[in-house]
Amino acid sequence: MSDIGNNKKMGNRIREIGMQKFLAPAALVILYIFFGIFGRNFFSFTSLVNILDASYYIGFIAIGVTFVIITGGIDLSVGTVMMCAAIIGGTAYKSWGWPMWLSLILILIVATAFGYFNGIMVSRLKLPPFIATLGTMMISMGVGSIISNVRSATFPIRSEPDGWFKSIFKYLGDDGLTIPTGFIVLIITAIIAYLILTKTKMGRYIFAVGSNKEAARLSGVDVQKWEMMAYVISGLTAGIGAIAFAAVYTTVMPAQGQGFELYAIAGAVIGGTSLSGGVGSVFGTLIGVYIMSTLRVGLPSMDLQAHYQTFFTGVVVIGAVLLDLYRNKRASEVRILSPADTYRNTQTAKIARMKVEISDLNGAEAEAKKGELTALRVEIKATFSQMKKEEKTEKRRILAEEKAAVKAFHQELKGD
Amino acid sequence: MNESVLSMKGIHKRFMGVHALKGVDFDLRVGEIHALVGENGAGKSTMMKVLTGIYEKDSGEIQFLGKLFHPHNPKQALSAGIGIIHQELNMMEHLTVAQNIYIGRETMKSGGLFLDEKGQNQRAGALFDRLNMNIDAQETLNRLTVGKQQMVEIAKAVSHDLKVLILDEPTAALTEVEIEELFTIMRDLASKGVAMIYISHRMDEIGQITDRVTVMRDGEYVGTNETSKITKEDIINMMVGRVIYEKPKVKSNVSADAEVVLEVSSLNAGRLVKDVSFKLHQGEILGFAGLMGAGRTETARAIFGADEIQSGTIKVRGVPVKISDPMVAVAHGIGYLSEDRKRYGLATGLSVIENSLMASYNKYETGLFIHAGKIRAITEEYVNKLSIKTPTIDQLLNNLSGGNQQKVVIAKWLINDAQILIFDEPTRGIDVGAKSEIYTLMNELAAQGKSIIMISSELPEILRMSDRIIVMCEGRVTGELDIEGSSQKEIMKYATMRENV
Repeated sequence: MSDIGNNKKMGNRIREIGMQKFLAPAALVILYIFFGIFGRNFFSFTSLVNILDASYYIGFIAIGVTFVIITGGIDLSVGTVMMCAAIIGGTAYKSWGWPMWLSLILILIVATAFGYFNGIMVSRLKLPPFIATLGTMMISMGVGSIISNVRSATFPIRSEPDGWFKSIFKYLGDDGLTIPTGFIVLIITAIIAYLILTKTKMGRYIFAVGSNKEAARLSGVDVQKWEMMAYVISGLTAGIGAIAFAAVYTTVMPAQGQGFELYAIAGAVIGGTSLSGGVGSVFGTLIGVYIMSTLRVGLPSMDLQAHYQTFFTGVVVIGAVLLDLYRNKRASEVRILSPADTYRNTQTAKIARMKVEISDLNGAEAEAKKGELTALRVEIKATFSQMKKEEKTEKRRILAEEKAAVKAFHQELKGD
Repeated sequence: MNESVLSMKGIHKRFMGVHALKGVDFDLRVGEIHALVGENGAGKSTMMKVLTGIYEKDSGEIQFLGKLFHPHNPKQALSAGIGIIHQELNMMEHLTVAQNIYIGRETMKSGGLFLDEKGQNQRAGALFDRLNMNIDAQETLNRLTVGKQQMVEIAKAVSHDLKVLILDEPTAALTEVEIEELFTIMRDLASKGVAMIYISHRMDEIGQITDRVTVMRDGEYVGTNETSKITKEDIINMMVGRVIYEKPKVKSNVSADAEVVLEVSSLNAGRLVKDVSFKLHQGEILGFAGLMGAGRTETARAIFGADEIQSGTIKVRGVPVKISDPMVAVAHGIGYLSEDRKRYGLATGLSVIENSLMASYNKYETGLFIHAGKIRAITEEYVNKLSIKTPTIDQLLNNLSGGNQQKVVIAKWLINDAQILIFDEPTRGIDVGAKSEIYTLMNELAAQGKSIIMISSELPEILRMSDRIIVMCEGRVTGELDIEGSSQKEIMKYATMRENV
């Protein structure tokens, strides 16, 4: 019995939180299968690696931006901060002769510093996040160009001794075997981010701040600190994204990165993160990112060029948010039970009771009970549909009457 | 004058688990001013929302101008001739008076291509003349006093050619002179045949301005009477009924030598906290009475560190503390339950467990992580203790009723082990059953040695719960009463004790 109860609870829970959580992954799987059937050579290891490669850097910054969006803010600077950090790291390695490992650490430090800067502006100086990070977006783009002297920075290629860091994101075996190790790094980052968001004080407070900042403050929560931390994390993940970008693309051009932030935000939104704050998940964001990169790799396999990708990504973003709105509205609607509904509920409960009784009986008795049960089911169905029908006609009648009354009423008003 | 313009019969309205209107009747005659009274949560606002199409009734019948009437939205109601003026003003403060009045139906010229500001201002001016209001149509709204803004709102409503005007506590934020002006305008409107529904808690005003009074209680219709044939006491009796919770406390439960847990001296903060001093004893329920705008909430917020303090000292258990932020207050064991739960008390998009733990995650950390089992256990414990009605502790707060939401806020502070609790209007927007549960709970907490400050605008509530009463008026403490021998009359005397009188 207790097992049945638990299963039921699980079922309800899945239904409650379900829809949203399973909708995005289901969309991803369907999309993947769709391209597999209609695209050329889509079901191949190469295109899988391509999908994964295409999502590293967006994936990292999308994870960071998810933190910020959950606080109810927005970070428009992640794309350019990422590229700024990458080009500064590249310049440090190439022009200043820094060792590779130090250059990589510099990348992380630069990006985190920008996150900290955003955090100060938003949480202490109370600038609107949109404005603060818009400013940082431009500043970081400028800083990258200034420090690199508007020259592109080239990271060492794989064969050079300092090319080791590339294996972190893509391992090439001797026999031409490619292992997308970057995927593992992304997943590990996502798991850490997930743990922070759901299992630590920081995560809980980030949700609390996003859901109702004033209530959190009046509960004695250090709102400034946790809001700041969200931006710092966003900066840090932009740094990781910068290393991933350098590893995959080798050459970093100055003044790049504009537009990446919008893909990151789109990924978070497709994954169910609410721009009004308080709602969101890291894995949802990852799914969102992969939906976009599947489109990116899948559409060319159907001979549709890259610009179709942006088109369809736009459609997906709007569709995802619309669906979410509709679903939330449905969920918050108050259902009024009509007599027919009440009847069905009580009868269903009766059936459940009978089932339990049957499981205790055996042989002929059980058979007899089973017959009773079937008869009852048929009866319920008939009565219910009859009641529903009556209710519907009644409702239509009332509605028509009221409509007529309103119409007559307005005519009278006009007549006056 | 006896012709009926509007009648509502047997109106029912249910919200999740709350039967807000239980077959209410209401009748309104042409040109009359009809008071609708009842305690908070009696269903007055719900009734008016049904009438103006904000809510749809579940059953019942509305007759308006002799015809069946069923508004589906406020716009429909307005175009039929039923308008409402809410307690809070709903206008755009950066626009001019005329722009506010004619928003959505602007005066146009050049064949509808351009706005005709001049013509519109003239129209507004003519409207004000007709209503005997002295307001400049070209003034930006936020430069007017609240009283004048309310006049503008009335003018706006009247410009729709209304048959019925609903005024929901219109005098709450007005000065006496402004109230007089408002009444003149209302009488003028009535003489022009507009019927008005006047919702108010102020008995004197009802006697002054209304023709008839309808009383509601707990979502039910109690009765209707001519104002001239009924006394203030009669109305109060009808409002209160025989509900037992109105019985005042006879004697304080706290001995005079109980430890002083909170001592506030000469506190000044902003406009509405002037030189406030008081002491709170262990295990005491200290009632804060006063009219709206007396500075009670502001005092609480200043003590809690939510607003800045200009001067004064606060001592917690004899130790002076500088409370610059709610964090500090919470660290000293103070908890604040706001009058506006949804804005300041709860994250309604989060679950019961997340709201309950909001002030106390620190206590349930093991290493880096929060102990999921422990926080579930403690939440379950308090959900049971406070009998919070929720299917699971993962339920989102916006799916709970007002009373249960309030209990979650209480759970938040109990889990935090707060010793000093400030309840600001603890039963606002809560139905009667849950109300007495909250009362019982507060008494239990006090008996356990927690010290409670209770701010309430309902005098029966103050008299029922408090061991001692502080009365405030316009930011100052004007009276301190022991529960023994105190009465509504005495409290009201202090609550209206203005400085220059």
